[in-house]
Amino acid sequence: MIRRPRFRARPLASAALCLTMPLAASSQAGATPAHKATTTTINWWGWTPTDSAEATAEIAAFNRVYPDIKVNFKLITIANYPTAMRPALVSGEGPDLFELQPGAYVTEFGSFAKDMAPVAAQALGSNWRSKIAPSGIDGFTYNGKLTALSVGSVYAGTLWVNEDLFKKYHLSPPTTLAQWMSVCKAFKSHGVGCFVQGNNTEGFLQDTLQSITNSVQPGLWTAASKGDAKWTSPGIVKALTIWKGLFSDGIMEPGSLGISQYPQANNDFLTGKYAMIMMGTWYTANVTKSGMTSALQAAGVSHPKPFPILPVPFPNVGGHPSAMYGDADYGLAVYNKSKNTAAAETFAKWLATSVAGQQYVANQLEDLPSLKSVTPNYAAAGIVSPSLQLGPIKRLAQTVGTVTEPRESLLSSAMQNGTGGILAAAQGVATGSETPQAAAKALQAAAVASGVRFK
Amino acid sequence: MATVRQGFGGSPGDAPLSSVLPHPYRPRGVLARQRRGTVKLASGLPWILPALVLCVGLIYYCIGYTGLISTWKWDGISPNPQHVGFGNYSQLFHDPLFWGAVRHTVIFFAVTFTVQTFLGLTFAVLLHSRIRLAVVYKVIVFIPVVLAPAIMAPVFQAMLAPGGQFNTLLRYVGLGTLAQPWIGQTSTALPALMAITVWQFTGFTFVLYYAAMSQIDQSVLEAARLDGAGNLRVITSIVWPSVAGTTFALATLSVIGALKTFDIPWLVTQAGPYYATNFFGTYIYQEIIQLDNVGYGAALSIVLLVIAVAFGVVLQMWRRRKAL
Repeated sequence: MIRRPRFRARPLASAALCLTMPLAASSQAGATPAHKATTTTINWWGWTPTDSAEATAEIAAFNRVYPDIKVNFKLITIANYPTAMRPALVSGEGPDLFELQPGAYVTEFGSFAKDMAPVAAQALGSNWRSKIAPSGIDGFTYNGKLTALSVGSVYAGTLWVNEDLFKKYHLSPPTTLAQWMSVCKAFKSHGVGCFVQGNNTEGFLQDTLQSITNSVQPGLWTAASKGDAKWTSPGIVKALTIWKGLFSDGIMEPGSLGISQYPQANNDFLTGKYAMIMMGTWYTANVTKSGMTSALQAAGVSHPKPFPILPVPFPNVGGHPSAMYGDADYGLAVYNKSKNTAAAETFAKWLATSVAGQQYVANQLEDLPSLKSVTPNYAAAGIVSPSLQLGPIKRLAQTVGTVTEPRESLLSSAMQNGTGGILAAAQGVATGSETPQAAAKALQAAAVASGVRFK
Repeated sequence: MATVRQGFGGSPGDAPLSSVLPHPYRPRGVLARQRRGTVKLASGLPWILPALVLCVGLIYYCIGYTGLISTWKWDGISPNPQHVGFGNYSQLFHDPLFWGAVRHTVIFFAVTFTVQTFLGLTFAVLLHSRIRLAVVYKVIVFIPVVLAPAIMAPVFQAMLAPGGQFNTLLRYVGLGTLAQPWIGQTSTALPALMAITVWQFTGFTFVLYYAAMSQIDQSVLEAARLDGAGNLRVITSIVWPSVAGTTFALATLSVIGALKTFDIPWLVTQAGPYYATNFFGTYIYQEIIQLDNVGYGAALSIVLLVIAVAFGVVLQMWRRRKAL
């Protein structure tokens, strides 16, 4: 059988096209402005948005303005982020854009980032500092360099409650420690879990400890983090004692030291097994129908039915109202060895400083936008129960505008996860392996070892 | 005598072939040169060169480099690590977490090896007898071996949670008083991980014992039966000594496995709560990856290597003494 040479004409046509294209291009160049047909591809590595689909949508919105820049987003879980970044950046093969978080990441990877201050000035003018949330500048400034452009901020120090469960059992969110114990007792008498928190890793237990300390002695946690007060202060010891009490007084679930906040505690709350959870402003994304539906599906609910959740202040467990705290969630850094610096800066600038990019971030309700002039469009968000939720959410957004205490930026990874650090202190006290006094002493030693200088 | 003719050839592959022949068949000249060692070196070197390069170039270089790093205070990134000599080692021997990891490793090895050996041997004995659906049982016992710990870890986390299936089962059978947060408290977290390990690796022990038992001379077993030995006597006096070599191999693998344990404690309990399930592997990971103490983590790695080699030597000596 002889095959017909069906495709033989194609190579000839291609060759002819190659030969004639430069001629055509040169003739067009004289008639119209040169069109940049080349596409620049940049790689962006980060742990957020945690939903890759959201990143894809952000990139699509960016590409409507900048079609010639292709952005590849690689999602890396935050637990594995340092493991992935360290060899990539050191080897010179790192991504064009990478995410930073105030604190340990900025300290560790900040030297690999370009100074973004000129980029911010170019985008927002010489008074750019006044247009961005302060936490987005302070948290990313390292050795006088702005290592990243802040995309948005998150704040913690709130509980989120399942409004349906509270209504069903005629209960109110607790405002004091005594009420908290009483509410938990009531829920448990109905066979419903009260408060869920994953304490097997550092992070959320740190939030609870900071909130307790802020209630015992406002500002003490931040002062100790800076070295202005010692971790052995009576206020810290009292906070650790209250923390221990959460376990012995039936507020914290037995076994919470064996579960993680994500996905376990989060799933337990979203599936209605528990009435309260310790989460911050990022949980606002779950007040929308789409956000809650997506979260419920991720929690394994086959027929998700969104229900209203509300943010409430952390109870006054130590004598004072507990102030919130927070800092930039993440910022976009441009790798100083990137070969596509201009394209990477263009994307960072669009997402972090343009109204369009920031409005997109704001409308997701996960991060509060970095640009002060942008506010979330709640009306378009599709809130589950606007009459119930809109008021508390707006009040939460107003409250965080007054926040002055950082959440992560003052603490090193050694202070958080190292020997005698916050994780060890919290777990040691909770298990009864250490007294609050001994844990406070270990915290002080860990802070000194990690380089904090005390006055 | 094709093989003998091959032995005279000059190609590098000939020498190994001639060396396995009995002496009368070896060419005299080759024997003489072998005594001097020149042929073995010249002809064998090309054969072992790839493996030699791989071992020396990669493994031993890495060990050497890790040894060098262990004398530094280094975050893994900085171009100027600080030389601290044996400071990391000195710190290590005063580190309660290091000794905790040693204690957990010893307990882990003792318990998992003993239980796995007992269960593996029992399954092998039972499945060597004539029972129905033996193949099905073999598959059931062996399946956990091929399941990745990363897949099973979330399952065990859910099962062993306070409201998990294991506690539900206990309550269902009237043992609700035993229900507890198995991986959420220091007293039960390590036993829970040991139970998971036994579940996962008993199939491997079983397969090795099953194969070893197939090699036992049937006439010995029949003779024992004729002498009136019961099942227990046959197992303790004939089967168990006959599979001693397998037991030794399993002990060696268990020691190495215990020293290298990482995946199950990290994925199920994150080495906690409060370091209750911290092992060498998890501690090294924490120090190097989470805390950027690359120098200290390297020192831990070197100590782990020394312990592993020491155990290997001790076990080999024991094996030679017992002539296994």
